[in-house]
Amino acid sequence: MLATIRVAWFLAVRQIRRASPWTTALIVFVMMLTFLNLVVVGGILVGLPQGSQLAYEREYSGEVLIRSLPTKEYIERSEDMIKTLRAFPEVVQISPRYLTGGKIEANYRTAVGPKQEPDALMIQIGGIDPVLEHEVTGIGELLFVGENLDPEEEGYVLLGKDLLEEYTVGAGIIGAVTLTNVGVGSKVRVEVNGSTKELIIRGVLSSKIGEMSTRAFMLDTELRRLSGRTDRNVGEIAVRLRPGANPMAVRDALKASGFADVARIQTARESQGTFLEDIEDTFEILSAAIGSIGLMVASITVFIVIFINAVTRRKYIGILKGIGISGSSIELSYVFQSIFYATFGAFFGLVIIYTLLVPYFAEHPIDFPFSDGVLAVPIDGTLIRLGLLVAVTVIAGYLPARMIVKGNTLDAILGR
Amino acid sequence: MKAIDAINIVKTYSSGGTQNTVLKGITLAIEQGEFVAIMGRSGAGKSTLLYQLSLLDQPTSGDIVMDGISTRKLSESALTKIRLSKLGYVFQDYALVPELTALENAAIPLLMQGHSDSVAYAKARVALEAVGLEKRINNLPSKLSGGEQQRVSIARAVAHAPKILFADEPTANLDSETGRRVIDILQAFHERGQTIVMVTHEEEYGLLADRVIRLSDGMIESYR
Repeated sequence: MLATIRVAWFLAVRQIRRASPWTTALIVFVMMLTFLNLVVVGGILVGLPQGSQLAYEREYSGEVLIRSLPTKEYIERSEDMIKTLRAFPEVVQISPRYLTGGKIEANYRTAVGPKQEPDALMIQIGGIDPVLEHEVTGIGELLFVGENLDPEEEGYVLLGKDLLEEYTVGAGIIGAVTLTNVGVGSKVRVEVNGSTKELIIRGVLSSKIGEMSTRAFMLDTELRRLSGRTDRNVGEIAVRLRPGANPMAVRDALKASGFADVARIQTARESQGTFLEDIEDTFEILSAAIGSIGLMVASITVFIVIFINAVTRRKYIGILKGIGISGSSIELSYVFQSIFYATFGAFFGLVIIYTLLVPYFAEHPIDFPFSDGVLAVPIDGTLIRLGLLVAVTVIAGYLPARMIVKGNTLDAILGR
Repeated sequence: MKAIDAINIVKTYSSGGTQNTVLKGITLAIEQGEFVAIMGRSGAGKSTLLYQLSLLDQPTSGDIVMDGISTRKLSESALTKIRLSKLGYVFQDYALVPELTALENAAIPLLMQGHSDSVAYAKARVALEAVGLEKRINNLPSKLSGGEQQRVSIARAVAHAPKILFADEPTANLDSETGRRVIDILQAFHERGQTIVMVTHEEEYGLLADRVIRLSDGMIESYR
């Protein structure tokens, strides 16, 4: 057996080494493209919903999001919960948000006639501590116009870009219902629970997460006063954890601390519901289908390459058998060649993926309406695809070799 | 001591519904250390007989007994093992593997036998020296002349010390001077005890053999 493998290796190495370098390069190139097709197409498809999930976690929810129960407007015992959360070693920062429905109006100064439509929107308003919010969601970096709120300076509001006509051009999530002719520095009137206040737009948030792009944010103290709230119960709490911390452990610990009955305590993934997960699952199926076509192409390519090689070398295969080289050695030598083509093709594919494509897509995400798509190519999944490619090419290399090797030795030698 | 016993060998080829019997019941024995030439006109069945004797082909009926073992019912794999361990081949068109150097061509049966690289290459080198190619061992077949390729082929055939060396018209593609040199090399091996069975149509080379078996129309016409 050992001699069989040694001779197979001996033959394979010399065949590859002394083959035309252009032919070898071409085959390796085809295998590389096949591998890229196998990994990158699926990576992009899965990367679209995954990009959305990552952005949701990064820009809105943190790793754990605590929301009020569906039947309540706020989280009872919020202060206790915040205190408990701050005691968890995994928690880096939390951002409690007061949430309330309200109206925001732009043309309240100029609208005089009863027939004139008010330029107003019913929206959700978040009351935040801008420093905490920035530490959890980086809200300051989401501002593409203007600047963040100052905790010491009341009278300002941040608006999600989908609330403003200037930045949506009719493509906003809420369609044409947007505020017109307002931007940073403009005054708007906010009405909450019958109380109104004039605020200046300090910045506009750009995010593909609806909760950020369709909300208005003002100082929590100011919103509480405006809404007449005297309690300190908040509407939601975004929790940022230390890198590597397990959000499920924090969720479970918080539930175990007795807060399960007063709030929906969920990881970022759970709080998104199943919509994105369903999309991701669908894209994974699509990617598997596309990948299997790629695998078929790879196997047919290798089959043809090895078949042509074996057919043109049929005489020498006959001679090798004639002088006593076992058929298994000859077949195995072709299997080794197939593995060579597949692994080198995949190697160059890996280099391209992890040194060029992943950094490129991280720097220039795919601009998709609901997300900035990343290239989702986890190393374990990539290695599985590499293994699949090698396995398929091994079979594709073995079959034609077997077909030729099992032929009559003398016929092969004499070219009959 | 008999090296090969061929018993009533018949070889029939079927083609397009017609049957062509090329060997018609040949019985012969070849002794250990003998140099046998198989001769005859074109189409007499010389090469076909050599292929049966050398186990490259299976007779339609009859048996080849080698070292007292009937080969009639052996599998292809078992025949390959016998070819590797006991037989050596020199083909008319040299039949070297183009991607292997002279040394590698000569070493490959030894590697298949399980010898280490160093032993296999050392034995192959000795065989190449014996055919006068010690300075061309790293050349690919494409860089060797026809005569040199045939000498590599002989080196490959003898490197693993086979019991019987089969040569199928080894000088057919060579000029007379080079052909003569190849025959001299075969004779030299024979003088050292190598059993050789050679097909040739050259009377001159046939005369050098211990025994000539003349075939005519698939049957033995005469012995010398």
